[in-house]
Amino acid sequence: MARLNEVLEKLRQILPADTLSFRDPSRTGTSCCARVGLDRVREVASIFARGGFFLESLTGLDFQDSKELVYHFNTYEPGARVAVRVLCPHGEAAPTLSDLFRSASWQEREVWEFFGIPFAGHPDLRPLLLPEDADFHPLTKTFGVVNAYRKREEIYG
Amino acid sequence: MAEQFRKPVVDQIYTLNLGPQHPSTHGVLRMLLDLDGEYIVKADPTIGYGHRGHEKMGENRTYKQFMPNTSRMDYLSGMLYNHGFALAVEKLAGIEVPARARYIRVICAELNRISSHLLWFGTYVMDLGGFTPFLYAFDDRERILDLLDRVSGSRLTYSYCRFGGVARDVDSGFVEGTRSFLQRLRSRFPDYHSLVTENVIFIYRTRGVGVVPAELARQYGVTGPNLRACGIAYDVRKVEPYEVYDRFEFEVPVGVNGDALDRYNVRLAEMEQSCRIIEQALDQLPPGPYLNEKAPFRVRPPKGEVYQAFESARGLTAYYLVSDGSACPYRCHIRVPSFGNLHVLEEVLKGTLVADAISILGSIDVVVPEIDR
Amino acid sequence: MGTKKLGSGEPVIRFALLDEVLNLARANSLWPMTFGLACCAIEMMAAGASRFDLDRFGAGVFRPSPRQSDLMIVAGTISKKMASAIQMLWDQMPNPKWCMAMGNCAISGGPFEYEGQYAIVPGADLIVPVDVYVPGCPPRPEGLIQGFLALEDKITGGENRNLLRRFHRLGGKKKSWLG
Repeated sequence: MARLNEVLEKLRQILPADTLSFRDPSRTGTSCCARVGLDRVREVASIFARGGFFLESLTGLDFQDSKELVYHFNTYEPGARVAVRVLCPHGEAAPTLSDLFRSASWQEREVWEFFGIPFAGHPDLRPLLLPEDADFHPLTKTFGVVNAYRKREEIYG
Repeated sequence: MAEQFRKPVVDQIYTLNLGPQHPSTHGVLRMLLDLDGEYIVKADPTIGYGHRGHEKMGENRTYKQFMPNTSRMDYLSGMLYNHGFALAVEKLAGIEVPARARYIRVICAELNRISSHLLWFGTYVMDLGGFTPFLYAFDDRERILDLLDRVSGSRLTYSYCRFGGVARDVDSGFVEGTRSFLQRLRSRFPDYHSLVTENVIFIYRTRGVGVVPAELARQYGVTGPNLRACGIAYDVRKVEPYEVYDRFEFEVPVGVNGDALDRYNVRLAEMEQSCRIIEQALDQLPPGPYLNEKAPFRVRPPKGEVYQAFESARGLTAYYLVSDGSACPYRCHIRVPSFGNLHVLEEVLKGTLVADAISILGSIDVVVPEIDR
Repeated sequence: MGTKKLGSGEPVIRFALLDEVLNLARANSLWPMTFGLACCAIEMMAAGASRFDLDRFGAGVFRPSPRQSDLMIVAGTISKKMASAIQMLWDQMPNPKWCMAMGNCAISGGPFEYEGQYAIVPGADLIVPVDVYVPGCPPRPEGLIQGFLALEDKITGGENRNLLRRFHRLGGKKKSWLG
């Protein structure tokens, strides 16, 4: 718990209190969820990098009003998973974390090719899973057969 | 006079294409290796040759319809992936699971873990050139497949877990068969050790080969036996116990150096620990229903999200499901361990020989279709 | 009877009895290429292991190189990225060569074929000419062996000599001689 508490302490210092929500990790999988703006992502991520966390997963969500990036950071302690959610308006680029977490270079390539979110400063932003000449972004809700395309507040309130 | 006949030495980097069709790439993986003689200067894994669009399918399938997809991502841990998905949806939708079903799921999951490690053991030693352990391992694996076939109807891609339990109950034949299988497997471990672990050629090909330092493992998000071989005892079954894993006594084997021999030893020790878990689960197996009858037929979880992590045969796997209240997920993302496990090879393969690269790639135990999803 | 169209790869001169002997030899020593793409590859490996033993049919020698094999078992889903590699491997195989589509994905896209699928090629026969289809997801090793036996029949023309075998294969129905 030591590493998690250190990191949460630092987050509390730099982020406003209403952007941090704490929950029961056995119910949702994460112990804390932080909503961060695009401009502060690198600051928050460097706290995790220095705190001994690893970037467990990076994925995107596509809503009508904006896209969202969801980072999950974890360390080798129980109940230490922290989710960081970043709203990313359609067409805007997000900062890269590939110098802080080396796994981010592939994770960001995957998010770029599936959602069309470019990562500024990424050393090698090309498709990872799709063919090299792919020019479509499959997981956006404007591609292919789509079940539902909703606004963010319809799901998260 | 001799100087005029001496050819100039040309330093040239030669690009070798390993894959996507190659006997030892464990799926369709392509590696572009830049070689200086026989030493690898740069390794660039290219993936995506098995991309089937699971995540897009997840958004167009109901929760029940997505269950067959889960087995096919990492087909060697099909039961484990089913299990994790069922746990995720049950958490999201608030479905209770009876105790007997929990124990059955754990038994089947651990049997699946053993079968995955056995297959890895056989193919790894086959990659290194020894064909016989492959046949021994598959022989034992066939017995596990018979047991799982008996309960689920399928040998490889089971869709055995349901939301609220399992599809079919286990009978006494399964319980007796599992007990006798455990006895037999334990009697085979000395064979494996004397054939392979104490084999001097095997030791030379794996000791000190492909060392992954713990800090590098953290940077790349390596989990599972690869991480445990580096000395970090991180196992989701111990750290975030799910199902009934907190009721069993088992150890988490760790290595010291993070080389291929340590990864091998960790996996063999894990098989023994899985046997312990299965034994305890069989002893504690309670009577009762195997499926929650009150679970809704059409699962429509309330709006929200869940991140369910579990320990598959390759490491920490997680389902991230976002529900918009309808019958299909809004987003279905799967965090797979082989993603980080393969990515770390970009660093680890630098400066190794090509033959060592095959050994390292085998010891990492990647299943490429789970990376490609 | 009818006329036979000469496709590419068919021998121009036929030697009757020698052909039959050669076909028998080819059928009983099919060397498959290790071409496992996805889950079916594991069942292919299990068929080659000691319980189901493909070696007793002469087919246990899996060759990694296409130049040394005469049977390509497409085992698994074909993604669009992989399709050109499959074509290249098929072209690299020397004649006579055969192809077996193993598993539902290689036959028709399998469980992954749906209206919005963007990533796979629904079936190996869209890329290479397939001789035998082995259904299943994944097919049991016994199913794969049945596929091998059907291919051997096709190579040796066994059904031309033993009409009862063809009758049974067609489910006990008489084949229409109108073609």
